[in-house]
Amino acid sequence: MPSTLSSFSDQLADAVERGAKSVVSVHARPRLPSTGVHWRDGVIVTTEATVQRDENITVTLPDGRRIPAQLKGRDPGTDLAVLSIAAGQLPVATLGDPAALRPGHVVLALGRTGDSGPRAAFGAVSATGGKWRSWKGGEIDLWIQSDLTIYPGLGGGPLVAADATILGINSGGLSRPLATTIPVSTVERVITQLLAKGYVARGWLGAAMQPVRGGLVILSVEEGGPAALAGLMVGDVIGSLDGHAIEHPDQVLDLLGGDVVGRTLKVELVRGGKQQRVDLLVGERPRRAK
Amino acid sequence: MSTPADEAAAWVKDCVVEVHQGGGVGSGLTWAFDVVVTNAHVARAGRLDVRLPNGQVREAFVRFADRERDIAVLDVPRLGLPAVRRRDPAELRPGEVLFAIGHPLGVRHAMSSGILHAVGPLPDGYPIPPRLRRLPWVQADLRLAPGNSGGPIADAEGRVVGMSTMIVGGLALAVPITAVEALVRARAA
Repeated sequence: MPSTLSSFSDQLADAVERGAKSVVSVHARPRLPSTGVHWRDGVIVTTEATVQRDENITVTLPDGRRIPAQLKGRDPGTDLAVLSIAAGQLPVATLGDPAALRPGHVVLALGRTGDSGPRAAFGAVSATGGKWRSWKGGEIDLWIQSDLTIYPGLGGGPLVAADATILGINSGGLSRPLATTIPVSTVERVITQLLAKGYVARGWLGAAMQPVRGGLVILSVEEGGPAALAGLMVGDVIGSLDGHAIEHPDQVLDLLGGDVVGRTLKVELVRGGKQQRVDLLVGERPRRAK
Repeated sequence: MSTPADEAAAWVKDCVVEVHQGGGVGSGLTWAFDVVVTNAHVARAGRLDVRLPNGQVREAFVRFADRERDIAVLDVPRLGLPAVRRRDPAELRPGEVLFAIGHPLGVRHAMSSGILHAVGPLPDGYPIPPRLRRLPWVQADLRLAPGNSGGPIADAEGRVVGMSTMIVGGLALAVPITAVEALVRARAA
């Protein structure tokens, strides 16, 4: 007796089956494997926090084969890591548009742990919003929060829409205990950088600042850093950066989160009561040794 | 107005009883004429009270139990309820709609819904003794609470696939209904 509920049930199971064709299990930590998505041919995306070693990484494909994978790069800021595998092993993910999500939309989280079938969780989008910055400093294009339970091993797996398209990568670590999804556009941007450099370069000025009336006052200048090379001094009050009036340090961080390394920014400042203009060549934020 | 979920739940509801033992309450499901099954951890005493959906209370006796697999089979004279319809959980696909009926925290005949997460043993790394981890489970992404134990987890058409047994890492674990069938068959032979 096919009821409305059983046809809904079939649709969900179909979405799981179709979505799971590009979902793999990633063995990069002791015991419990995590999940990954075959995002481009030969490219697996997973969450950075679940890749606990740089070598001896393997992935289990939907057909049960376990093959070697190489770590291509990681970005703790957005909690993404990229692995490469041999090309042509499994279908590439069919991507959807997470910007179309509204609170209430039905979504699934998929996972694969080892050589068993896919694992699924069900929920609804609870909130959406614009660009935000993770507590680890990464810029994420959309805020997608759902009431999905990211069970152990589901981290790094996809958020799947009812039509089986993949909308992003679920991270258990960015805003615990809520399930947060790194949307498609952010994943695209980060994996392009990770494949090119192995990490995501973030802009750096080499100056500490604090808000005052009229802008941000410089409290310290790192020796040899971009601010020092541009001639900025302690006590300078920065009124605008790259043509934008600056009132809060977050605005500087937003500016530096984008693709600005190597760009020259116009800085308007007040020094000793006098307006000045300097050019500042944005450097790359030094990376902490792991 | 009845909704699709109402219908599915209605098929199962008449087959769910409360199992009282001391101050504790668990759930049970009707198996056959005058027979109820529940979890062994719900039926520790030899004699229990079973409360039917219509509020009447019957005396029940543990016919046999498998503590390892956490199944108890109760004789309930004058039960007078239909047996649950069953489905082999091996046929389920991840993503299928499932629902649980039981008495979580003493709330009578409460329904919670979700989907099938997976069927089989749990992956390494779940906080559960290895002996239990390696058993086959119906793993469901739905909310259970104490009091659901021994109650049914059913599919979208009200066919019972498992018996709610525990929660591990937030995941609902049910003994596959086929394991209950196997036990009943082995003891009857």
